[in-house]
Amino acid sequence: MASTKSNLKRKASIVEAEPVTEVLSDDEFGDGLLEGVLEDESDSEEEETDGDDDEENENEDDEADIHSDDIPTDGEEVEKAMPNDEDAGPHYRVERDANGGERYVYDEIDPVYDSDDTDAEDAENRIGNIPLSFYDSYPHIGYDINGKKVARPATGEALDALLDSIEIPQGWTGLTDPQTGKPLNLSRDELELLRRVQMNEVPEEGFDPYPDTVEWFTSVEETMPLSAAPEPKRRFLPSKHEAKRIMKLVKAIREGRILPYKPPEEREREREEEEEQVYDLWAEETPRPPNVMHIPAPKLAPPGYDLSYNPPAEYLPTEDEKKKWEELDPEEREKPYLPQKYDSLRRTPAYDQFVKERFERCLDLYLAPRVRKSRLHIDPASLLPKLPRPEELRPFPTVASIEFTGHEGRVRSVSIDPSGQWLASGGEDGTVRVWGLADGRQQWQVKLSSEDAVDAVRWRPGQDALILAAAVSQDLFFVIPPIGSPELEQSSRDILDAGFGYAANGKQQLTTAAGARKDPPAKWGRPGGRLEDEGVLLKATARSPIKVINWHRRGDFLCTVSPTGQKASVLIHTLSKHLSQMPFAKLRGLAQTASFHPLRPLFFVATQRSIRCYDLQKQELVRTLQPGARWISSFDIHPGGDNLVVGSYDRRLLWHDFETGSRPYKTLRFHDEAVKCVGFHRSHPLFADASHDGSIQVFHSKVVNDLMEGPTIVPVKKLTGHKVMNKLGVMDISWHPQHPWIVSGGADGTCRLWT
Amino acid sequence: MEDTPMGQPPMAEARQIRVNFTTSSPDIQLPEGKTQLLVPADIKRYGLSRVLNSESMLDTPAPIPFDFLIDGTFLRTSLEDYLKTNGLSFESTLTLQYVRSLIPPVYEASFEHDDWISDVDVLSAASRAGVWSGDKLAAGQDRLLSASYDGLLRIWNNSGQVLATSPAGGHGASVKAAKFLSSTQVASAGLDRTVRVWKYSEAEDRLSGTLRPTLELYGHSASVDALDVHGPTGRILSASADGSIALWSTSKSSAPAAPAALLPGAGASLSKKRKLASSSSAPQRGPLSHMPIHGSSAATAVLFDPADSTVAYSASHDHTLRTVDLTTSRVASTIATSHPLLSLCALRRGGGPLLAAGTSARHITLIDPRVSAAATSVLTLRGHRNLVSALSASPSDEHALVSASYDGTCRVWDLRSARAGTRAEGGGSVGESVYVIEREAKKSGKSKSRDDVPGKGAKLFGVVWDSTWGVVSAGEDKMVQINRGRDLLAAAA
Repeated sequence: MASTKSNLKRKASIVEAEPVTEVLSDDEFGDGLLEGVLEDESDSEEEETDGDDDEENENEDDEADIHSDDIPTDGEEVEKAMPNDEDAGPHYRVERDANGGERYVYDEIDPVYDSDDTDAEDAENRIGNIPLSFYDSYPHIGYDINGKKVARPATGEALDALLDSIEIPQGWTGLTDPQTGKPLNLSRDELELLRRVQMNEVPEEGFDPYPDTVEWFTSVEETMPLSAAPEPKRRFLPSKHEAKRIMKLVKAIREGRILPYKPPEEREREREEEEEQVYDLWAEETPRPPNVMHIPAPKLAPPGYDLSYNPPAEYLPTEDEKKKWEELDPEEREKPYLPQKYDSLRRTPAYDQFVKERFERCLDLYLAPRVRKSRLHIDPASLLPKLPRPEELRPFPTVASIEFTGHEGRVRSVSIDPSGQWLASGGEDGTVRVWGLADGRQQWQVKLSSEDAVDAVRWRPGQDALILAAAVSQDLFFVIPPIGSPELEQSSRDILDAGFGYAANGKQQLTTAAGARKDPPAKWGRPGGRLEDEGVLLKATARSPIKVINWHRRGDFLCTVSPTGQKASVLIHTLSKHLSQMPFAKLRGLAQTASFHPLRPLFFVATQRSIRCYDLQKQELVRTLQPGARWISSFDIHPGGDNLVVGSYDRRLLWHDFETGSRPYKTLRFHDEAVKCVGFHRSHPLFADASHDGSIQVFHSKVVNDLMEGPTIVPVKKLTGHKVMNKLGVMDISWHPQHPWIVSGGADGTCRLWT
Repeated sequence: MEDTPMGQPPMAEARQIRVNFTTSSPDIQLPEGKTQLLVPADIKRYGLSRVLNSESMLDTPAPIPFDFLIDGTFLRTSLEDYLKTNGLSFESTLTLQYVRSLIPPVYEASFEHDDWISDVDVLSAASRAGVWSGDKLAAGQDRLLSASYDGLLRIWNNSGQVLATSPAGGHGASVKAAKFLSSTQVASAGLDRTVRVWKYSEAEDRLSGTLRPTLELYGHSASVDALDVHGPTGRILSASADGSIALWSTSKSSAPAAPAALLPGAGASLSKKRKLASSSSAPQRGPLSHMPIHGSSAATAVLFDPADSTVAYSASHDHTLRTVDLTTSRVASTIATSHPLLSLCALRRGGGPLLAAGTSARHITLIDPRVSAAATSVLTLRGHRNLVSALSASPSDEHALVSASYDGTCRVWDLRSARAGTRAEGGGSVGESVYVIEREAKKSGKSKSRDDVPGKGAKLFGVVWDSTWGVVSAGEDKMVQINRGRDLLAAAA
């Protein structure tokens, strides 16, 4: 109704010249709609919403028209009702008829046929649907049906308006009738009507929408019926039509066209037919054991002592337990009941949970999904590679047995002699010391230099002599410690001295093809009096400091590496000729270490990134290994000759299989600091690496000849004990030639024997 | 169920336990019918020992201290506690095997040296050399021989005085082994690859003596690490790091000439001067028989059979123990073990000796060397934390031995105390030590922090157990340490 009103206002605003309020209300309306739209829709669809807006406005207009059509009709009615109200007197006149008698002449009844006829509307102003503002400049506002001017209603003075507003007349709406231009006042009936419509009541007063029904026709037999006609005869006579039909059936039965039952043979046949169709699916079923996936429903546990009416005292809950049980959520309770004690069975009450329990049991049987879950059970241990347990791979070194103390400063290199009795160590105090391996006693020492450290010591392989090679700065010393038997000492001396005659005879070999005399890569000679007395019998001086010594297995050749030596960084010395050779005219990268192959005439040189393998006989590069390490520290070749283990300063240990190409077969990263040294045991399947984190790790490595199977590498023991000094831990390791024992030399100035 | 008799307060009377005494020693056998006894439950070893020594039982003239073995373990608590810890009933009958007690060795004295000591031997009336010397041994002439890394032999009396030191120019390098042949003769071997025989004579007052070299025996090409001697026949056995053992004679006349190549100065070495200076005037002889039976692996210990001087046993780094017939110089049998062997001693036993071998795997393995033996490895003694370097059998008890190890301890073992080994130990029977003898010098120092190298600075190289001297051990700490059971004499009686 409110909207109707506002529509009405809009209509009025079109016609009436009271623009301010009308426009305001118009704006309000528009705003309200737009706001709703904006609230509902996003801004991007503004145009569309505008369109909708217009449409709705139009719809609203239509509605408004309809309403406006209705409303004035009502208003007319009201207007018409008004005069009725005004003449409250009798609606007839008394006249004299022709006989002179009184005659009541009634007004003609207005049937109000045109109450909903819009055409019959007789508005006073007949100017049509044009804005009233066209008449603004005239004293009238239009014309009536007779062409007479409709005078502009006198608009009151402002004071009058005020007065009007103060004493509000009956039915004042503040609206202006657009047709007449007069203030639109509503009568009380009209207001009442509006209220009813507003309240969703029936507009007409006194209208009873639910009148009592009048039963015009009834099922009740009247004592005095409307019709006294007697029951017709047909109601008492059997129906001829039905008799006819029955006779038909009787006749058919007699004639045998309808059979009361089927003849036996026919029934038999039908039965047979039926039997053919219906067969027993499970007739021949034999009982089978249940499916493996079948899970029978669990049986209820038989009642225990605690369900007894008179349970033993230990089953009865204490007060605390009772309280705890009651505090628990029913679903969390371990048992749904509390054991209770009764004096006698007849005092036992009915089980109050019986129905609930049965119900839950049924639910359990019916709803519990008894499905075998195929959970994926993976033991995490099974995902690990199948490696034998370290205990099964004994023997390997496990504990430190002997500590060799005496070196001042770091021990840089250790070596066990081929017989396994002696340990040689070289340290930063410039001494080479020889220790009894079995008792830890220092048996001999010589100070080779007062300034430089002994960088490497290596015993000559072979038990026919006892010769120790030691590198101090640029000098390579050959030492015969006086600990062997005279026989051994003599043979060692013979080996060392054999080259002197050769060197004297073969000087001329050191000239190039051009005839220019070449500077030999190393000068051989006697070391001088004091050292010679102490057993140091031979010296070779290279051009740059030697860091690594490795002997050839026969004991005649040895290679030295001096990383700073440029093209002379790798030298191969021939002991029997006192001859040093530079095998590489040019070497890419800084040489780190070099080694002879244990079986074949191959020579391995490691630069910082790669290891190259050369054939000494054919003098060609055989293979290049790329371990992928940043800086190789050391490598060792498996005594079988087909594998190589590389240690690198970037904490990695890399196992190379020559068969599998230039990339490592396995990378082991177990150390916290750089791996300084690696070494294979010559007879046991063991290798170890020493690291600057102060630990030595021992690995078991099984190498099989089968091409299908790679080597098995099992870490078996981590040997810790060396102290880390200035970030340096274990400097060198050396395996015992026979036993699974290892000796390590550390930056803490000690050597250790691990057994 | 522990039930107390009706009407008796439970603590009023001490519980009694029925025990059954047995023994394996025939001389202290209990009379028939006396073996069962009811003893109070809180009785301990001492009480049981007194019960056994009482008149009604053994009726010994002087009390014998006994130890009691229950199921292979020594009783160290009261019987009650034993039952409780083993969950046994008080009504069960315990079978107690009583054995002569091993007296806890108590520290007696230390003899200080200048250098590491590689070996010790003792001379006393009860020692082997004492028995061999017979009447020549003066009463109370208890001597101790120590071999040192400084190349000297020293002879001490029991009050800690050095009676004699070998003259300079004896062994040119460290002495590795030394033994009394008799009260007047000493054999030694060392890193200079020689075995030497010395004559020892004492002054009248027995407060000083002299060691004179009598023989230099050449034949080994590497350090001689172990010796054994047999006094009556004057034979010496030596084991060398070159993998050979050799048999020598102490008599000048019967020994063959020394191999010339091994004599000092044979090589034209520059250190000839030093070698020549150290040479002495003693006659040089060679071995009766040189047996390179261990290949290139060092032979570490050698032993005469206690009963038969023509049979020798040698142990080596090559994991084997070999029985050598000295008359033919042939290896009679080889027993392989699983670890390098470092030391050897023989335990007397009826029907042939039982050999104990110390291994580099920190245990002692007991080997039955008889060819007929069903199992060669009888028992493993575990407990040392480093290489077992020396062994010595008990002088009085055929079931006891003492071992010295690089971990700085001596351990006393009783072979009767054995249990089944665990899987990790490789099964078999495993024994554990009865007593541990620590180094006195180490003990007095700062509290023993668990070193990463066991026995650092206190490696033991030699041990000998004598009934007079007790347990004598020596090693890297330059001390000869003597430990002795206090009532050792009572035990020996």
